[in-house]
Amino acid sequence: MLMPKKVKYRKVQRGRMTGKAWRGSSIAFGEYALKAMECGWITARQIEAARIAMTRYIKRGGKVWIRLFPDKPITKKPAETRMGKGKGAPEEWVAVIRPGKILFEIEGVAPDVAQAAMRLAAHKIPLTTKFVQRETVE
Amino acid sequence: MILDVVVTAEPRATRGKNESKRARRAGKVPAVVYGAFKDPQAISVNPKDILKIVRSKTGHNSIFNLDIPGVEQTPVIVADEQYDPIKGALMHVDLKRIDMTRPIKVSVPVVMTGDAKMVKQVGGTLDFITRRVEIECLPGDIPDNFIVDITSFGKGSAMRVKDLVVKEGTRVVTPGASILAHVVGGKEEVAVAVVEEAPKKGKKK
Repeated sequence: MLMPKKVKYRKVQRGRMTGKAWRGSSIAFGEYALKAMECGWITARQIEAARIAMTRYIKRGGKVWIRLFPDKPITKKPAETRMGKGKGAPEEWVAVIRPGKILFEIEGVAPDVAQAAMRLAAHKIPLTTKFVQRETVE
Repeated sequence: MILDVVVTAEPRATRGKNESKRARRAGKVPAVVYGAFKDPQAISVNPKDILKIVRSKTGHNSIFNLDIPGVEQTPVIVADEQYDPIKGALMHVDLKRIDMTRPIKVSVPVVMTGDAKMVKQVGGTLDFITRRVEIECLPGDIPDNFIVDITSFGKGSAMRVKDLVVKEGTRVVTPGASILAHVVGGKEEVAVAVVEEAPKKGKKK
């Protein structure tokens, strides 16, 4: 699973998710992409599940790019613990997603295969998404 | 490529995000025109006119006439544009005045044609790395695109920027060693040698 090699601080505050993804909102590498249409957190497990779903569907041929990285640690208190006594232990890593962010890109497969692979990936993501492709000239 | 299109613009007297929002609500897009050693001018244009030009065959390298009534009429090129990340609506356009006698730097799209042999036969992947090549030439000599035939692409084949055929008087700014596209992966068909097993010797009793 994706996670940072080293961090400056082990625990961080939750933060806000206002605004749109002004950066990372256009296709940079591939031909087809999956775009987030709302804000939220995507965990490293969900990213890995989506990646596996896509690569298994496209089999060989084709290349997948992951355009998000889970760099935010999420803490959790143990079950049946009274409140207080400090912040819980780091449990998982998430990527903070704002609407418009490109999540995955694919190249080297037919459009229908790319769309079907992205559909499977979208089922692993807890946000509404949209399949997009590079603009073609009329 | 020079288009026979005239886009009418209105000069903008007021600035700022609120005025820009009002302009967008009124069906216009805030824009700016600059270059050719003249002062920049804030304008507003109809987004449909700009999108029609940008999505045309010549794309971002289309040279068209901008008419600002009472101010100027000049040939321009779309230098930059901003889109809404969710709706994809045009939000702002940068237009650059063009001096037809001076060379300009533009990025020209690369178009691949044909099916690569390697991809078709053994399932390799065509990796399209450089999708646009930057060139410097006179505004009238800008090509629509560079067409690259990849039919003969085998394992390890790569097309580089220096392999492109350009017109005389055109200087390629992108480094010549940059790879445009190459084929990666794919299992090569390996001839399997069948060796007949020698008959086993029986145990001596």
